[in-house]
Amino acid sequence: MVSGLSRRFGAVWAVQDVTFMLPSRSVLLVVGPNGSGKTTLLRLLATALRPTSGGAAVFGLDLIRDADAIRGLAAFVGASPGVYDLLTAAENLRFAAAMYGRPHESVMPWLERTGLAEVAPHPVRTFSQGMRRRLALARAWLTTSRLLLLDEPYGGMDRDGNQIVDVMVAEARRRDGSVVLATHEWERGVKIADTVLALAAGRPADILPVDRFTASGLAPVTGGRR
Amino acid sequence: MNGLLRAAAVARKDLLVEWRGRQTTTATGMVALLMILLLGFVIGSEPGRAAAVLWVALGFAAVVGIPRITQSEVEQQALETLLLYPGSREHLYWGKSVALLIMLAALLVALLLLLGLLFSVDVWSHWGALLGVGMLGIVGLSAIGTLLAALVLHVRGRELLMPLLLLPLALPVVLGCVRLTEAVLADTPAGLWPVVLVAFDLVYLLVCPILFEVVMEEV
Amino acid sequence: MRTQTALGAAAVLLLAAAAYVGLFASPPDAFQGEYVRIMYAHVPNAWVAYLAFAITFASSALYLWKRRSGYDHVAHSATELGVLFTGLALATGSMWGRPVWGTWWTWDARLVTTAILFLIYSGALLVRGLSDDPQRGARLAAVIGIIGFLDIPVIHYSVTWFRTLHQPASIGPGSLKIAPPMLLALLLSLLAFTVLFAYLLRLRTSLARLEAGAELS
Repeated sequence: MVSGLSRRFGAVWAVQDVTFMLPSRSVLLVVGPNGSGKTTLLRLLATALRPTSGGAAVFGLDLIRDADAIRGLAAFVGASPGVYDLLTAAENLRFAAAMYGRPHESVMPWLERTGLAEVAPHPVRTFSQGMRRRLALARAWLTTSRLLLLDEPYGGMDRDGNQIVDVMVAEARRRDGSVVLATHEWERGVKIADTVLALAAGRPADILPVDRFTASGLAPVTGGRR
Repeated sequence: MNGLLRAAAVARKDLLVEWRGRQTTTATGMVALLMILLLGFVIGSEPGRAAAVLWVALGFAAVVGIPRITQSEVEQQALETLLLYPGSREHLYWGKSVALLIMLAALLVALLLLLGLLFSVDVWSHWGALLGVGMLGIVGLSAIGTLLAALVLHVRGRELLMPLLLLPLALPVVLGCVRLTEAVLADTPAGLWPVVLVAFDLVYLLVCPILFEVVMEEV
Repeated sequence: MRTQTALGAAAVLLLAAAAYVGLFASPPDAFQGEYVRIMYAHVPNAWVAYLAFAITFASSALYLWKRRSGYDHVAHSATELGVLFTGLALATGSMWGRPVWGTWWTWDARLVTTAILFLIYSGALLVRGLSDDPQRGARLAAVIGIIGFLDIPVIHYSVTWFRTLHQPASIGPGSLKIAPPMLLALLLSLLAFTVLFAYLLRLRTSLARLEAGAELS
């Protein structure tokens, strides 16, 4: 439940008056051109940023007051993977698990699901960009979060990588979780989404169920250009 | 218990990354070595000067090395991820300051050995006491250094601010450790210096973790 | 506005009185001659600086606790004034030392401590000014305000003890016996500068509040 969520940087409103409801077991696709506020919106929901005004309730928890509790329930995968080059894939995940209070669990299942099982003992600096993004996904996956926030997950991924994203989203949904997915590759997004929120210059331009969303629906957002 | 686990995980991670990359230890080691050589040459290498040279060199090495604790996270773009793990950010403070402590301790040992060689001071017979004094100083430096490393992250002119803030604030550590090291080497009484150092360490170990949380808050 | 004007008027009157007493009515020192009169500016400057830093500490702590911007405005203003008066204290200390002891700087423990504080609190102002976000800058400056103040006694003692073991303490600007008429002049001067500080603090704080309001609109 997001109401009137707004955030400005200096004099520029990156996100303004965003309001929507996200039930469990549903996927919200956020579309819009670059600079429309998709990333800012996701970061606000992840509690990486504080709203300038407005608020949200995530599973009944207040976005500002209960930020730490929300962090235990949400997982954010940003545009940059944020993995440690000098550690191996397995070490990266073990660190993340330890930070979630689960240091002794095996991380292999998550590496297998993201197709990284073979390179588990290799340092991340030998990885390609696509592999690093998969590792970032594995890190979010192992948290078994109830709110998955994905920012441009399809960027820099090959076909197998895209499939992994879809599987991850489907699995989150099965677990009674919700997903917010921001991308400008909306053709991919609409395949797994339930609702679409279109942002233009930080403001919600339209919000509708996915079956009513078409390419022309995107026109007001992109100014008529694709 | 969870906090201890998280702090330990952070310390382990930092040390592991450092071990594999050795960026911080190389930078601090180089600065310290250069300072010792320069100072030893310019102001003389009599045994009486050894303590002062040691701690001035350590101070400047700390100025160079401390920003790396947080800078390394920024370079990997891992800072936001680190801050989004659930749990108190104080655990991050403890993990990083312990890792820094260990790195500075390694540097201290190396410098003490070097000092023994270059300044003809007898480090061997006072080994334990010298390490003890050194640890008192290094605990203070890491306590306040970890906080400052986080503080200067979001400020322009980082390279100027770290020496400007760290050296005046940590001055009692440098002064106290110089006099105490001298006292150890000359077998003279320590006076009230241990009190100064312990007071500094305790106050900042108490206050800095809390302020670290404030500094790392999202904006 | 009334309190402000009253304070300002009081400050001017007291400063005039202190100046008269300090420069004319009080006797010259047996040893230093007329130069002792610089003390009537130097000591109050240092006193006001320390007062300012104490206020910075309190308002910084309150700001971090309650997060009301009013506290931040006070902290900001107090830090600025603190740096100003620390600078004045250093300058007057230097001016005092030159004719009396022949040096521009005496490495006296109090002067060194004052110089260190000058650096720390200038750092606080820099941190505030160079931050990419004003709210974060305020928070970081508050952190410096707190750790800086906690350091003051430790710095003072370590600087004092650092030299006493190796040299006889040189007679610093502060180690004089004070005769009653000079004491009166000094106290008057202290009062005058304190009132001046209060006036400036109020002025600067309301200015900060206005600035913050203007930025938002």
